[in-house]
Amino acid sequence: MRLSRRDRLLLLAPLATLMLVWFAGPALLGLLATLTSYSPFTTDVRFVGLANYAAVLRDPQFATAARNVGLLTLFAVPLELTAGFAIAWLLRRPLRGRAAWRVLLLLPWLVSPIASGVMWHFLLSTTSGIADFFLGWLGAAQASSPAGDLHLALPAVVAIEVWRVAPFVAFLLLPGLESIPRERWDEATLAGASVFGRIFRVAVPGMRGLLLTVSMLLIGLALGTFDTILILTGGGPGTATLTPALYSYDAAFSTNDWPAGAAAAWVVAAAVFVVGAVYVRVARE
Amino acid sequence: MSRRSRFAALAVVLVVLALPLVWTLVASFGVTPDNNARPPSWIGPPTLEHFAYVGVAEPTFWQELATSTALALTATLLTVAVSLPAAYCLARSRLPRDRLVAQSFLVLASLPVMAYVIPLSDLMRRVHLLDTLWGVMLAQAAVTSPLAVFVLHGAVRQLSPEWEEAAVIDGAGLLGILGRVVLPLLAPTVAATAIVVFVLDWNMLLVPLVLTGGEVKTVPVAMSDFFTFERELDWPTAAAALVVSLAPVALLVAAFHRLLEQFRLTDGTGINIG
Repeated sequence: MRLSRRDRLLLLAPLATLMLVWFAGPALLGLLATLTSYSPFTTDVRFVGLANYAAVLRDPQFATAARNVGLLTLFAVPLELTAGFAIAWLLRRPLRGRAAWRVLLLLPWLVSPIASGVMWHFLLSTTSGIADFFLGWLGAAQASSPAGDLHLALPAVVAIEVWRVAPFVAFLLLPGLESIPRERWDEATLAGASVFGRIFRVAVPGMRGLLLTVSMLLIGLALGTFDTILILTGGGPGTATLTPALYSYDAAFSTNDWPAGAAAAWVVAAAVFVVGAVYVRVARE
Repeated sequence: MSRRSRFAALAVVLVVLALPLVWTLVASFGVTPDNNARPPSWIGPPTLEHFAYVGVAEPTFWQELATSTALALTATLLTVAVSLPAAYCLARSRLPRDRLVAQSFLVLASLPVMAYVIPLSDLMRRVHLLDTLWGVMLAQAAVTSPLAVFVLHGAVRQLSPEWEEAAVIDGAGLLGILGRVVLPLLAPTVAATAIVVFVLDWNMLLVPLVLTGGEVKTVPVAMSDFFTFERELDWPTAAAALVVSLAPVALLVAAFHRLLEQFRLTDGTGINIG
């Protein structure tokens, strides 16, 4: 049906109001504030240009945080996609108890990032952990929790995020995989394609749009990593698992450097928008 | 892939996914491993006392559970109520760059909350909505709306406009079309989207953490409090709290898993995939 101007206004107004007041408005006001010396409890507000951003970008702590989240994104997102795809691939054909499988795939995602942090804090520990229980059977020495290890903390965070997110990715990819027409599989099989041939010549092109959409969401999720780390390591040991989101939160709410916190948060936002622009570009082709 | 190797691979997936959860479930009943014994063994007869002890360690836990439920329910309803009309409008407006609009909502859905929550808390303080249910509820609804718009937009695009055209001929107005034609046709997708949004709301930490300060407290905030203030919580009690906080969403998903298959992501056009 044709929507009149008035219809469109009526339909869009509720969303626009909500998003303007609780999302876009604060975001843009925050952007403006970071160009000044504004902070909630000061009266002296001057224009400072990009000084807040320069200070954040020069801070070695922020550089470490950016490096950490870069590594985290670089490893977590491809692992989540591949593991998710592999699980969806295994569940593609008829299987007994498929309904139960679907519920199971959703379970780790239902554990909130914060609860996941609490859970893995104990599961990785020596006294109540999983690894030590089985290592004990082998008579091996007790390993200390990787979350407290300078070199293992970040990989541990990656592993925990993959555990939580990959099954959900499988859940999202499964309908896409199932919607690929049967003939295309048959053609590939007749042409003698191997498993990898079928994956890369039939499955991936057939669900390209869906894969891009899921990738966008996963990259945003990884770049904003906060909850799990807050509980599991608090950014430590040292700054081994510090992320820009954690840096931003600490600056704004713990160390009372509001401008630095707001500016660092906008650096994260800018990174997501850059990825978003790439996503729109790639999805168009 | 042969039947047997597929079965073996699925068994590995099952163990990796479920073992951490089973370990936690068992611990919540007071059965924990004794890793110091050689060989390691299990301690303790099963007991329910750790569930009762959650309320002792965190006296307001049951109150927080009620707050979380009320917040997640209302925020979900609001998200769906504002997203469905907007998604319908965007899908039926024949915009020249329709796909770009949909993709923009996906990018907004990917934006970490941290990006704008700092100025948001300042703004909420100024309008006296800090530490109120309203403030948190509206902010949470704003966080989840872009994803809901993206998914519902895809669903409307897959819907043939014939039904709406027929309703127009019968004299239906805008509300009649939305409520009596579009909503019933999209009911499964709307319900699936609502469930996903409910889970996101239920698990949300940063928004309530930053927008509240003691009056309003949700379960995730309580959990973070416990650990940030270094109060030592023993594992069975923490496990019991985890199980209690996971149970509502787990039951929800188990009951409606068939419906959840209608939660489909698209590439922004709503056609050709999933």
